[in-house]
Amino acid sequence: MSSRQNWKTYAYWGVLWLVALVYFFPVLWIILSAFKTKEDLLSIPPKWLFQPTLANFASLFNRESFWPTFCNSLLISVVSVSVAIVISFLAAYALSRFKPFGTDFIMFLILSIRMVPGAAVVVPVYLMYAALGWKDGFWPMTLFYAMYSIPFSLWILKGFMDGVSLRFDETGLANNASRFHVIFKVILPQVKPGLIAAFVFNLIFVWNEFLFNFILGGKSTTTIPTLLVTQSYQQGGVDWTFVASLGAIYLLPPVIALYFFQKYLLVGMTFGTVRGEV
Amino acid sequence: MRAIENSRLYPWLLLAPALMFFAIWNLLPLFWMVGMSFYNYSLTLGRPPRFVQFRNYLDYLDNIDLWLAFSRTFTFVFFSVTLTTLLGALIGTLYWGSTRMPGRRLALTLLFSPMILTPAAIGTFFRLNYDPTFGVIGYLTRLITHTNVEYLGTEGLAFAALVAVDVWMWTPFMVLITLAALGSVPKAELEAAEIDRLSLWNRFRHVILPHARFILVLGIILRTIDAFKVTDLVYQLTRGGPGGTTEVIGVMMFRRAFEAFSIGWTSGVAVITLLTAISFTALFLYLLNLHRRKHSA
Repeated sequence: MSSRQNWKTYAYWGVLWLVALVYFFPVLWIILSAFKTKEDLLSIPPKWLFQPTLANFASLFNRESFWPTFCNSLLISVVSVSVAIVISFLAAYALSRFKPFGTDFIMFLILSIRMVPGAAVVVPVYLMYAALGWKDGFWPMTLFYAMYSIPFSLWILKGFMDGVSLRFDETGLANNASRFHVIFKVILPQVKPGLIAAFVFNLIFVWNEFLFNFILGGKSTTTIPTLLVTQSYQQGGVDWTFVASLGAIYLLPPVIALYFFQKYLLVGMTFGTVRGEV
Repeated sequence: MRAIENSRLYPWLLLAPALMFFAIWNLLPLFWMVGMSFYNYSLTLGRPPRFVQFRNYLDYLDNIDLWLAFSRTFTFVFFSVTLTTLLGALIGTLYWGSTRMPGRRLALTLLFSPMILTPAAIGTFFRLNYDPTFGVIGYLTRLITHTNVEYLGTEGLAFAALVAVDVWMWTPFMVLITLAALGSVPKAELEAAEIDRLSLWNRFRHVILPHARFILVLGIILRTIDAFKVTDLVYQLTRGGPGGTTEVIGVMMFRRAFEAFSIGWTSGVAVITLLTAISFTALFLYLLNLHRRKHSA
């Protein structure tokens, strides 16, 4: 490679990095703001150099509502997605292997749940929960999220299973293994990437969800996005140090997950319909 | 155990939990909602629902607010999808062939991060960024124009500001799709085009586009569905204001149901958006199957 070409390549990489940083900038700004005092955060012109402080985090952690809400977020998202994955895995196996009557129709209906605006999904469920007294219950909240995670997981897992040859099932059954064995010992290891993609991206979705929690949840099931929205006003103004510090803590896990699970991002964002290298 | 496994009902046994979830949380509430849409029911009045036949649906026909909300939603979808697609295709193409770049994974993480953030938190924070006195964007605007611009308080501007945030959040998705689409072009054909010294335009038209088109179209449809659903972001950024100029259909349903508590009326609108979403889904699957059939035949 000549030095001229070398120089060109570096310039090209520089441009790519610049584009990435431009897109990341607003996120970085939230993270930086979390370490500023209220005066620095609202100062004009915006401050690049400032004395970083942990006071925002200290006052956030001392809030009565923070830890219970944080635990809710963690618990609700992990439990609901785990339930959804187990259920979708079994359903995906049934649909992929036995192709029962109406398979395509079931897949279609289940996918369309994810395509409807959230408000249209939550109005009828709200009516039901209000009538049954299920509002603000841990299980009603968690199982609702599980339901909402099923379409996504089912589509991803069925896509992966369709790619696993029927020979594996046949060999297993011919060797007198039970279906149970075939499903969990033969097929499961082969669709592991699908399981990981479904798990990570549903987790991110439930972690980020606001509307359903706001409507169907209550005092004992509040998750962080709802806390951020409902407690951001204080004494007539927006409490920006609270928003910034809570936002920063909250945004980091998905970003870190994105770094480690990047190769699953494409599958995760397209319901498993698009696969390939990025 | 074997008897169960060999039974014809076995697949349905495996499907049962998923179908049960679907029945309890979707079908049941859905029937309830469709039923509700024929009633006049307001949570605040404390009166039992009153059967009004098709009156809600007749009201939609000449309810100007509803039609404005729909047209606003489609305007939003149009601008958001067009801009994210153009920007995404541009950046995606730029990133094509950067596999040897140092720190590529980190750069892509930073680039992709906007699309996995909490829309509610982003909406809240951009309210600060757009603030004419304290916000970064407000400050930069003042540097250039020497006037205070109330982005979120001015009709028209608020809509543009909303589209801008959405485009920032979702361009990365189209970058991802573009990269996948370009990745689906067979290397051999690209090399052949290189050897034949095809012009860039011809290379794009005859080699890249025929292969990349499929994934690109799927991506655009998914993006359209997603833009149609937008609610959290708008609710936190503008609450549908000023003067209702950013009240897209998701926000309208939310506010009518949970701020004005007119459940019957909102149920009907929900039924309409449900049908819209189902037709989007049908289109998506139609294209997906069309492609599969072509390639397996």
